[in-house]
Amino acid sequence: MNADALGRTAPLSRRALLKAAGLAGAAAMLPLTGCGATPSTQNGVTTLRFMQNKPEVVAYFNQVIKDFEALNPDIRVIQDFNEGNFVPGLVRNDPPDVVTRGFAQATADFVRKGVFADLSDMPVAASIDPKIQDLVSSWGQYNGNETSALPFSLAAAGVIYNRDIFAAQGVQVPTTWDEFMAACETFKAAGITPIYGTFKDNWTLGQGMFDYVAGGMLDVGDFFSKLTARGANITQGAPESFTSNFGPALPKMLQLAAFSQNGAASKNYADGNAAFAKGQAAMYLQGPWALSQLVAANKNVRLGSFPLPVTNNPADTKARVNVDMALSITRNTPNMAAAQRFVSYLLEPSVVNTYNEKNAAFSPLKDAPAVENPQITGLSASVTEGRYYQGATTYFPPSVPLYNYVQSFVYGKNGQQFLAALDDEWRRVAERTAV
Amino acid sequence: MTASTLSKPVNNTNPPRRKNLSGRTRKSSREGYKVNWWLTALMLVASLTVLLPLYFTVAMALKSPDQIGGTGLAWPNPMNWENFAAAYVATNFPRAFMSTAFVTVFSVLGSLACSSLVAYAIARNWNRKFFRGSFVYLLSAMFIPFPVIILPLIKQTALLGLDNPAGVVFLHVLGGISFNTLLYIAFVRSIPVELEESARMDGATTWQVFRKIIFPLLAPMNATVGIFAFLGSWNDFLLPQMMIADPALQTLPVVQMLFQGEFNTNYSLAFASYLMAMAPTLVVYILAQRWVLSGVMRGAVK
Repeated sequence: MNADALGRTAPLSRRALLKAAGLAGAAAMLPLTGCGATPSTQNGVTTLRFMQNKPEVVAYFNQVIKDFEALNPDIRVIQDFNEGNFVPGLVRNDPPDVVTRGFAQATADFVRKGVFADLSDMPVAASIDPKIQDLVSSWGQYNGNETSALPFSLAAAGVIYNRDIFAAQGVQVPTTWDEFMAACETFKAAGITPIYGTFKDNWTLGQGMFDYVAGGMLDVGDFFSKLTARGANITQGAPESFTSNFGPALPKMLQLAAFSQNGAASKNYADGNAAFAKGQAAMYLQGPWALSQLVAANKNVRLGSFPLPVTNNPADTKARVNVDMALSITRNTPNMAAAQRFVSYLLEPSVVNTYNEKNAAFSPLKDAPAVENPQITGLSASVTEGRYYQGATTYFPPSVPLYNYVQSFVYGKNGQQFLAALDDEWRRVAERTAV
Repeated sequence: MTASTLSKPVNNTNPPRRKNLSGRTRKSSREGYKVNWWLTALMLVASLTVLLPLYFTVAMALKSPDQIGGTGLAWPNPMNWENFAAAYVATNFPRAFMSTAFVTVFSVLGSLACSSLVAYAIARNWNRKFFRGSFVYLLSAMFIPFPVIILPLIKQTALLGLDNPAGVVFLHVLGGISFNTLLYIAFVRSIPVELEESARMDGATTWQVFRKIIFPLLAPMNATVGIFAFLGSWNDFLLPQMMIADPALQTLPVVQMLFQGEFNTNYSLAFASYLMAMAPTLVVYILAQRWVLSGVMRGAVK
């Protein structure tokens, strides 16, 4: 009965349905007319999309863009800090024209696949310090010789220290491992926590004591290039393995961990920033990114930084650096000329040096002025003399849960197990990615 | 939100029962009305799962950077109301709000319209193979994890010129169809066919039957589906983040990423803006509480 009734009126129903569908479709199409793909050049004004990887400096770049647009009325720049849209942009074949990215394994993947254009013949490329440019190319170059990214900001990390506590205890900035240990003992004897530990956030252990100790003891870049060359047939006994190279560094990590406050295992990065800013410890194994957080928590705190000495030869002391921002232009952009003009503007000394001075980082330019920010002056000698390394953690592909391994090593103190696990993980990744 | 829907009924149902029973004899009121202190205590503790995070959100939103830290339980003094203004300006709140509202309103309306129509067609043609098959077909979509298909979807929507909020609406409506249809079909089946037959006797077309008889009777289920669709699209992060190409049309959850750098999180501004983004959900919940509760129950038994 029901089916019969429906059957009789089916044509009408279908028509109504189609009408409804049509209406819904029209409603959905309405906004399209407003925001569909617009040609990037309209009335002689080229629109550039600029994807920027640091949400905290959006305001600075808004000002830079304003200045740039005033000088270049034929270009309009749209800033986008939604880095998660970069891969979708590639999938859409409509990526942003100019991109900034932090330089590590993940970005290197894009470089090796030729996502970015070659910038080597841009005049500004010559103004970059070649040593810093090498940090970028150390991750691999497309076609073996292209310059896919120009460094914009170099972050140098070491030990952040509280100048007032150092002065009160009469401690000088240590230049050797023994001096550093003696300083820790002095603070401990005075009832001051020598190093504030934030072990709950395992990345702070990775970029902190693991990278510092590894980078100070061995040539990290050289180690990883040999390890990569060895490929999937890596064994624990091989001369390229973690087990064969990292052994001497590990006890020093445990020594550092032992100078942390009680309960470091339950403190995270935010706790650490709040506590260190209030003077609850003398030193803090963090990079420059923490400085603004520390000052935000206590604007009167007087901070300095020094590279962690891991050996007893002061000349060995190196800072951990990373190319925090590097400028790239996507290969297939239809607005190459405009994009190059924008990149050139960003690398003008007044823009790039101001940015780095404001954000406690180092300018990549050859003739950059000496840093004046007292928070990072202690690191400038290492940077200008080229005594630096990129953190060991940055060489790992994201599929290796490295930070968890570092954390369990610090808790369990089983170095052999830790290094064996790293060898094993590295071998498995190499097997997967072997061609 | 779900935890509060669980803890609320207990708080609400107690007072009316007391009122009803007070009119009866003393004996029965004693027997019938007995405070279960253990359960009450348990529920009070359970309600903390909602109240405590809410307290943190409000307290955080009012703190200045130097008040952050410690346990976070301390109430900020003085309160820093400028956070809201700063977050409002930084996120360009009105624009992001309109974009989110556009996505949400059309997702809800689309979900209600499409899913109920589909469910009605399938439920009333259950004796036909094609409709039974299409039901299974729609249901099978529930077994495909969304992240697996997101990149192909991005490619496809870009080709169709839908890399904007309208595309997000489309995908929300389509993505919801399988689950919503499941809910609706169970409900449509419980509506007596005789109602429709009597309407047909009066000369109603199928469309009129749906519009005038079925759709109004679906009201409780409409509430359920509407609430799910509302929460789903208002809070959605992944789809807008990856699909909307133009940053000017980005939705609130994505724009709020502004406060989270890799190592620097501006907690007070972040929470101020979360609170502003949460406000519509809270208002809708308070207004629609009755239907939320009945709606949750409605979906529980199929």
